[in-house]
Amino acid sequence: MSSKVEFPFPFTSDHYEYTNNSSPLIPARTVTVSSNYVEEVRLKRKLLEENHERCYRSLPISLESQWETLLLVFRELATYEPEHFSFKRRGNTYVFTNHLLQEEETFVYRDHSSIDFEPLDLVGRHVQEDLIVMGDRHDGLFLEAGQLCFPSNWSLTFVLGMEFKTIHTPVPAIAEFIEKVERFITRIRPNTAWERKNWSITISHKLDTPLETYSDWGKLRYHVTKENAGELVNLRVEVQRLFRLPVTNDILFSIHTYLLPLNELVANDDWLKKFYTNVKTLPQELADYKGISLYKPELLGFLEKALKRRKIER
Amino acid sequence: MKDRYQVKVEQIKQVTPQIKAFTLSSETAVDPFGAGAHLTLHLPMGDRQYSLINNPLEMTNDYQIAVKKVSANGGSHYLHEHLEVGDSVLVSGPDNYFPVHLEAQHVIFFAAGIGITPFLSMMPYLSTLGKTFELHYAVKNVESCPFYEELLKYTEQVFFYSGSREEKKKQVREALENRKIGTHVYVCGPETFMEMVVDTTRELRFPSRVVHEERFRPAAKIRNPKPFRVTVNGGDELLVKENESLLERLLDEGYPVSYACRMGICGSCEVTVCGGEVIHSDTFLTEKEKENKMLSCVSRGVGEIAINVVETNSM
Repeated sequence: MSSKVEFPFPFTSDHYEYTNNSSPLIPARTVTVSSNYVEEVRLKRKLLEENHERCYRSLPISLESQWETLLLVFRELATYEPEHFSFKRRGNTYVFTNHLLQEEETFVYRDHSSIDFEPLDLVGRHVQEDLIVMGDRHDGLFLEAGQLCFPSNWSLTFVLGMEFKTIHTPVPAIAEFIEKVERFITRIRPNTAWERKNWSITISHKLDTPLETYSDWGKLRYHVTKENAGELVNLRVEVQRLFRLPVTNDILFSIHTYLLPLNELVANDDWLKKFYTNVKTLPQELADYKGISLYKPELLGFLEKALKRRKIER
Repeated sequence: MKDRYQVKVEQIKQVTPQIKAFTLSSETAVDPFGAGAHLTLHLPMGDRQYSLINNPLEMTNDYQIAVKKVSANGGSHYLHEHLEVGDSVLVSGPDNYFPVHLEAQHVIFFAAGIGITPFLSMMPYLSTLGKTFELHYAVKNVESCPFYEELLKYTEQVFFYSGSREEKKKQVREALENRKIGTHVYVCGPETFMEMVVDTTRELRFPSRVVHEERFRPAAKIRNPKPFRVTVNGGDELLVKENESLLERLLDEGYPVSYACRMGICGSCEVTVCGGEVIHSDTFLTEKEKENKMLSCVSRGVGEIAINVVETNSM
């Protein structure tokens, strides 16, 4: 499958809307294996090796949910991608085989001495997704563990242990809305998954844009021109899934990040038109938050040129 | 969470003359569950919820429930008298409105009678995790109480109450006094017993977030429900008949309202009320929320009301 075919285009209407846009996922899946699997998993592992403290954090209270996540994701991979993964139980011992990477993981459930990493850190090395465990503590959802290699301008170290509403403080005009979202999440039933798409823009084809390396990638925003936008500007879409872990009653939040260079995006008339109108109608504070304001005129100029070339009415 | 599916009765055990335990299994993999979870059984006389009593960490593709025979023609009678090993039962779930909170430093369970069932999964679960807990169990007679043998495993942690109401009240208070911060309280049993425990936690100033009630029974049912008219999103006018819920009518008309428990517990089917009087019978909304919201599964309008239904999702 080519990367363009599987790209989860996020816009459904011709103007910008701020909604929760979550829908239930049946069957309840937490991860997806895309055509970039091997390449992205290798990149994840490289980042984990070089910057473990930046990419992996956990609190002791998360350990039960981590084990539950490990079992859940390994089971899911073997169930839905049997040609690539298998998962067997021999007595107390589980064996997970990753045929794509020619690897085997053997462990005893809930026995920490049987694995080299924490359970979430281990299972995260076999999926493209970033994995976050949110503890449902009755008076709020708290970020209690995360393997985060591909963040869009946020820091795991900064948010570890924070409550859901506090984490989202930087998002503009969100206070009332985020309370509803949190309530929505607290109502997700066990073994049930919900999915939403969230979009932003990355300058350069780079998945790992943590706050910690902002000085490296942030400055590229000054380099966008009408001429180079097709190559430099990428639509970044996060397919975000929320799953209620049945045993601990915590929430597993998975983020699968996709990047699409604008040169590929504009080849699809419908995508081009929708993307253009959404960027154009994006409120100023959100354009600022998403970092688009710096190059919005150049971006719109590039898209207008493409629309004209393809004879699409604006 | 799975919608309706079949399970098979693998084993039936007579626990006491009034209580039977059923083991339900499936040829396909059943979903994991957490301590305090329940299964919904779809029986000829309606839906019934029963707590799962097996240890979630040692579940081997089966669900166990314990049922007390309470009336001559209800669900429990059906399960006791008509269900046999090998029979199929239509179920859904498991779901959980009584989860165990792992942030607790110590847990105190209060149970009365058959209210012991959710704690039968919580106790082995917390034991496996190495967490501390104690059970205070009000019974008529200690030796013939449900699951007496099982409870002997926890001799140091189990306290039986079999005296008068006044004596029980005193014992509950003593059990709750001088507890450390971080102690969580779980209570399940008859309404009067639950109230007694919860009232005592309030008198002793326990924060409400550490006191957990098994709100298992549906919210107060509206007696003699009457039909009412509803205007939806300022357009459609619907009539909700006396024998149906607003949720059922909305779903029949094609409104994408999400729902889960259908008992006024989970809050999924909330709609916005723009006008008219509503009789609330849920246990989810706060008093403030009731000013302009209702749960369409159990609450009803009086005469004529107007509501808004969000088109996209459950928010």
